Amino acid sequence: MIKKDNKLKRVLSYLNSLPFSYKSSFLLFIITGGMFIIIVLSQISIYTLKNDFDILFEKRTKPIIQLENIKDIYKINIYDTFYDIQQKNIDIQQSKEIISLGQQLINKSWKNYKEVTLGKEFEKSYVTRLINNYFNVKKSYSNSILEKNIIPIIDRKINQIHTTINKIVKLLERKHFDKALELVNLIYFEINSVNIYLTNLTNYDLNLAITEKNETQKVYSLLTFILNLSIIFVFLFSIIFSYIVVNHFRKLHFNLEDAVNAKTKELQEINDYLAIKIGKEVANSRKKDLIMFQQSKLASLGEMLGNVAHQWRQPLGSLMMIIQSFQTKMSLGKLSYEFVEQKVEDALLLSENMSNTLNDFQNFFSPNKDKALFKVKDCVAHSVQLSKYLLERENINLRHIIVDDLEIYGFYNELSHVFLNIISNAKDALKNNENQKKIKIVVKKHNENIRINIYDNAGGIEENIIPLIFEPYYTTKYKSAGTGIGLYMSKQIIEKHMNGIIKCKNVFNKVDGFNLEYGALFIIDIPLTQKENND
Amino acid sequence: MIDRNLNILKNFTVLYLEDDKSLLTHTKDILDDFVLKVFAVNTSKEAFEVLENEKINVIISDILLENENGIDFLRTLKEEKNLDIPIILTTAHTDTNYLLDAIKLKVENYIVKPINIKDLLNSLHDILFPIIQAQEIEKNSNVIKTISAITDSKQVEVIKYIIANLNNNNQLIASYTDIMSDISISKPTLIKLFKELAEKNILVKVAHKTYDFNSQELNKF
Repeated sequence: MIKKDNKLKRVLSYLNSLPFSYKSSFLLFIITGGMFIIIVLSQISIYTLKNDFDILFEKRTKPIIQLENIKDIYKINIYDTFYDIQQKNIDIQQSKEIISLGQQLINKSWKNYKEVTLGKEFEKSYVTRLINNYFNVKKSYSNSILEKNIIPIIDRKINQIHTTINKIVKLLERKHFDKALELVNLIYFEINSVNIYLTNLTNYDLNLAITEKNETQKVYSLLTFILNLSIIFVFLFSIIFSYIVVNHFRKLHFNLEDAVNAKTKELQEINDYLAIKIGKEVANSRKKDLIMFQQSKLASLGEMLGNVAHQWRQPLGSLMMIIQSFQTKMSLGKLSYEFVEQKVEDALLLSENMSNTLNDFQNFFSPNKDKALFKVKDCVAHSVQLSKYLLERENINLRHIIVDDLEIYGFYNELSHVFLNIISNAKDALKNNENQKKIKIVVKKHNENIRINIYDNAGGIEENIIPLIFEPYYTTKYKSAGTGIGLYMSKQIIEKHMNGIIKCKNVFNKVDGFNLEYGALFIIDIPLTQKENND
Repeated sequence: MIDRNLNILKNFTVLYLEDDKSLLTHTKDILDDFVLKVFAVNTSKEAFEVLENEKINVIISDILLENENGIDFLRTLKEEKNLDIPIILTTAHTDTNYLLDAIKLKVENYIVKPINIKDLLNSLHDILFPIIQAQEIEKNSNVIKTISAITDSKQVEVIKYIIANLNNNNQLIASYTDIMSDISISKPTLIKLFKELAEKNILVKVAHKTYDFNSQELNKF
């Protein structure tokens, strides 16, 4: 028992370990196969049993009726007729007809009986024979010798009776009543004897029927047993495999649940980590932005400082010359009141210019945080003025065209910063331009925006880097001191501080007003209705 | 205040090319006191006009001119016009590119702005001084030639021999015979000349065949 249990367990565990697809196919196979077997078996058994019953009826029951018929005919038609003749109840002519009818009926019935009994047409079904062969259902009767002996005897007796009857009928017609009566008595005896034989035969057939019925019973039992067994088998295996499959599902479910829980936990952790990281990154990015703004300002500061330096250099040279002129005049004894007067006047003019220059730049860098209403025209002009030195040095011709003189509300210096950035970029792009270098700035109204277009004729920006130019730290100026934040800051200023849009594309434009030339175009759109929005 | 004798500048004309009008005026005002004439111009075109009409001794030019370049101006001047006039460049740039170009064009001096007027005047002096010296030497040799024409030419030849044969210590190492083998002069005349020079402390005998030449003594005359 223990061994069997172990085996069962091993088989079960083996089945459990099978892949799910195998398990499900097994289940499907068992259910469909089992169903198929059950259906086939039941069909076969129904057919077989019906066949067997048919045979039983045709071969055994019907012949018995025939035999009984013969007996009855002997008894009623022949025996009774002779009795009536003896009693003179009927005339001879009538009885002759009755007797010959009876003879015909007997012959017919007997012939039928022999055909059925000795004929081969009612064979047992193949399945029954197969079952009989394989399951050793033995024929308990097999008493066919008796049958074989009795039938010829009856044959003979019937013939004898018929001849005797014919004799009697002839005697009666010749009116030999005594001789006929003698024969009639003999006939009585003969009829009884035949009837006994017939009864024997009937008994034999009945016995046979009973045995055959038993046989059928056995076949039925066997088939039922097999059917039940297969039903139980299919049922059992269906349950086992259903259990296994369900178990598999459950396991799968639990596994999945565990996996999902684990993953959820992991995700949760990652999420938390990310939240912290994002927080840090946001803080970093804010810091970075601040630093970048600072860097951008510093870069501009450097450029502006160069500008200031240049704008100061000339008057400074003149001032030094004036101062030295006093010394030389003095040493030569030629220093006159008029000379001093004139030189001082010049010197004051020069220093006033220098002071103004300084004011210009100081205004640009002063951190005036307040938004104010200002004319874009002024801002453009101021920015152009501030970058004048750079443009002159690079021999760049800058034109600004004010189509609509508009006012906006915002940070004057920041917008100026943007203009300076774009002009500075255009200047760098124009560096290697062999033709006349040109920049054009157009200010006009566009829908509800003020639009500032800045063109150059530097041949345009490479198409594949246009999407990158507003990215922080993107720079093409590997040699010059490009920090890559100028345009990024410009975008921040325009989009975040002024609610505007800045974009860039390459276009053909009459930059100088006459010739179409290819170059970059920066478009800045700033909404005119800023004041209402912000206050 | 000035180490060099800037009076020598008095006889020279200067062409000053500078695009900054204010600086040009003020510098011209100073230079006017030192030189004969300052031609102050703003563009190279004006400069070439002046050069055609006037005799210019020195050119002072800014490198960075309005829409043109001082270096290009000089290149045209030297290579196309073949005018060999000394040049002083002034510039706000200390760019080596300009410096190399300037050296190639054999620029006399290179002054970084803002201009120190002393540097400019000294530079002018240094450039013009050799010209003055050459003029002086020519003048002196003319004087000697004239003197030798009216006095004994033999004595002049001996003096020339003495000065030509002075060694690094301003000493003459020679005997009368050495001199006489070169110059056909009588010994008594030679002795008389040496005695006369010794009396005036110009040529003093310090050893046998060795004489000191005191050039300072010459200034007493």
